[in-house]
Amino acid sequence: MSARRHRATVAVVGVGMALTLAGCGQGSGGSAGSSGGSDGGGGGGDTPSIAFVPKLQGIPYFEAMNAGGEAACEELGCEWLYQGPVEADAAAQADIVRSFIQQGVDVLFVAPNDPDSMAPLLQEAADAGIAVGTTDTDAPNSVREVFVSQASTEGIGQTLTDQMVEAMGGAGRYAIVSCGETAENLNSWIEVQREYTASEYPEVEITEVVYAGEDQAVATQMATDLMNSDPTLTGLVGECTSSAPGVAQAVRDAGRIGQVSTVGLGTPNSIAPYLEDGSASSSVLWDVEALGYLTVWAGMQLAEGAEFEATNDVNSDLSAVEYDEETKTLLLGPPLVLTTENVGDFDY
Amino acid sequence: MSTATLTPAGRPDGEPAAPAPKGRQRILPPPVTGQEMVLIVVIALLWLALSLATPAFFTSGSIVPLLVGMTPIALIGIGMTIVIITGGIDVSVGSIVMVCSVIVAQTMVGSGLPLPLAVLLAVAIGGVLGLVNGVLIAYGRVHAIIITFGTLNLFRFIGLQVFDSSTVEGIPRTLNFFGRGEAGRTLGIPHSFVIMLVLAALVWWYLRHTAGGRHFYAIGNDQQAARLAGISVRTRVLMAYVVTGLLAGLASCFVLAQGTSSLAANVGSGLELAVIAAVVIGGTSIIGGRGSVLGTVLGALLVQTVATGVTQLGWRSQLSDLFVGLFILIAVGADLIRQRTRRAS
Repeated sequence: MSARRHRATVAVVGVGMALTLAGCGQGSGGSAGSSGGSDGGGGGGDTPSIAFVPKLQGIPYFEAMNAGGEAACEELGCEWLYQGPVEADAAAQADIVRSFIQQGVDVLFVAPNDPDSMAPLLQEAADAGIAVGTTDTDAPNSVREVFVSQASTEGIGQTLTDQMVEAMGGAGRYAIVSCGETAENLNSWIEVQREYTASEYPEVEITEVVYAGEDQAVATQMATDLMNSDPTLTGLVGECTSSAPGVAQAVRDAGRIGQVSTVGLGTPNSIAPYLEDGSASSSVLWDVEALGYLTVWAGMQLAEGAEFEATNDVNSDLSAVEYDEETKTLLLGPPLVLTTENVGDFDY
Repeated sequence: MSTATLTPAGRPDGEPAAPAPKGRQRILPPPVTGQEMVLIVVIALLWLALSLATPAFFTSGSIVPLLVGMTPIALIGIGMTIVIITGGIDVSVGSIVMVCSVIVAQTMVGSGLPLPLAVLLAVAIGGVLGLVNGVLIAYGRVHAIIITFGTLNLFRFIGLQVFDSSTVEGIPRTLNFFGRGEAGRTLGIPHSFVIMLVLAALVWWYLRHTAGGRHFYAIGNDQQAARLAGISVRTRVLMAYVVTGLLAGLASCFVLAQGTSSLAANVGSGLELAVIAAVVIGGTSIIGGRGSVLGTVLGALLVQTVATGVTQLGWRSQLSDLFVGLFILIAVGADLIRQRTRRAS
C-alpha cells in the first residue's frame, strides 16, 4: 500500500510538467496533496475528490455537465475535477485519465471516446484504489462500478420517432442525418427508430440514413440533397447535436418550412432559433446539468461505499432514479422534449 | 500552320485575326490545359448521369446549394493554388477560418455588426494571419509545411481561447447574403458563387498574363534561378500567403453563412485537406511550378458534385471519401506521367 503511494507520488512529480496543460497544473497539485493526506490518515472525513473526463472539452454539452457536477459537489461536499481533450480523441483522453490516476483521485468518471481502449485504463485506476464509473457513454466490458446513463436507448429512439411522426402529421417518409458512422449510441438509437417506426407507425417510412460526421455544413448540405432527391420527403431527423440545427437550417434555406418537419438531438441554445421559426418542431435531449449532478451523486455513493437502491431519491428533481443491478446502470429518467414552450428554461 | 487556317477565317468577317507572336505562345500553356479539359468532361458526364438518375438533380433547388457549398473550398483554393505553384503549401487555412469565423460571429452577436464590416473584419484577420505565415516562410528558410503546421496549432489555440470553452449561439442572419437561402441569391444566382468566380478569374488572368504572375511559376520551378533572374522571391512568397489568408478570411464569412445559428469549435477542421485535394485534382503540381486556378475551381466543383450525387443517389456516405481519394491518386499519377514524359523529351 505504502509502496504504491510512494510510486504515485513520484509519478505525480514526474508528470507535473505535462499537467501544466490547460491550467490543470494547479488542480493536480492540490488534489494529489489532499487525497494523499486523507488516505494517509486512514481515509477519514476529508471531502472526496471526484474527477470527470469528458469526450472533449469546450462543447456546450459537456460544459453543461461540468456546471451540473460543480454545483452538485458544492452541495454534497466534494472536490470536482473536470478535464477533457480538446478533440474527441481516444489517445488524448487516455493521457488525461492517466494523469488523474497518478493524482490519486478518489472517484474517476469517464465518458469514453473509445470504450474498448478505455477498459484497461479503468482497470489500472481500480488497481490504484480509485472507484471508477462511466457516464454519458458506457464502457460495458470494463471494471466500472456504475454507468450513469442519460436515457435508455429505447427512450431516445422511441421519443425521437414519436416526435417526428407527430410533426409529420402521422404519415409520410422521413430520412435521418446521422453523424459519426461508427458512433455506437447513435447507431443503436437509429436501430430502435427503425424497429419502432416499422411496428408502431405502418404509414411512416424511413427512406435513408446518411452520415455527416460532426460537420454542421455537411449535415446541412446532405439534408438539402435528401430533400431534393425525394420531393415526397416530409421529415428529417438530426441524430446528433451538430446535425439537429443543420437539418433545420437546410429546411429554412430551401424555404420549405411547413412542408418538411425536423426533429433532432439539439442543445437548447442551438435549436431555439429554429423552433422559433418552425424549421424545427422539437428537440429530444435530456437535462445535461442534471446528468452532471447525478454523476457526482453516484460518485459520492461510490466514495462512501454505499449501495444503490432499485429506486434512488437523489434530490427533489431526481426523486426516483432507477438503478439496474444487472447492468449496474443508473438511469437519469425519460428524455426531455424541448419545444418553444420550455426551451428558454435552459441555458446551454 | 495555325496562322494559315486562322487568316482565311478572319477575313470574311472583316475582322483581321491577330495571332499572338509564336514565342509567347510557346511560353504560355494553353488557356485550358489537358487535365482541365478532362475535368470539364468528367463533370459534364457526371451532371448528365445524375440528371438522368435523379430528376431532381438538375433543378435550381439542387444546383444552387451545390454551387454555394463549394465556394469556401474553391475560394481558399485560389490562394492555395498560388502557394503551391511557388512550391509551398499552407496547411493552416482551416485554423485561419476558425479564428476569423469565431471572432466575426462573436462580434456579430455582441454588437450587431453590419455585413460590410463583418466581411472587412474577417478579411483583415485572415490577412494578418496570412502575413504571419508569409513572413515566417519568406524569411525563415524552413519549409512551408513545417511553418504552417506550427501556425495551424498556434491559430487553433488562439481560436479556442476566443471560443472560451463554449459555442457561439444566436448568430444573426447578417451574412445570409452569402448563404444558400433566398437572401443569398439574385435572379436565382448565388452571390457567393459569383464572388468566388470573379476572384478566380482575376487571379487566373493575373497568374497567366502578367509578368508578376509568371514570377510565381518561376519561383516554383527553380527558386535559385528565379532569384538570379532578378525576381524578388521573398516578396512574391509573402504575397502568396497573405492572399491565401485574405481569401480564407472571406471564406469564413461564407462558412458562417452556410452554417447554423450556432458555431462550434470544430469549424474549419480538416478544411485544409479538402482545399489541397481540390487544388491537386485540378492539376496543379504539388511540387510547384505548374497549375492554374481554373483547375482548382473545377476540382472543388467535382468534389462537391460527388458528395451531392452520393447523397441524392442514396449511396453510402463514405463512398464520397473513396471517390475523392481515387481522384487525388489519378490526378497525382497524371502529374507524374507528364513530368516523366517532359523530362524524357
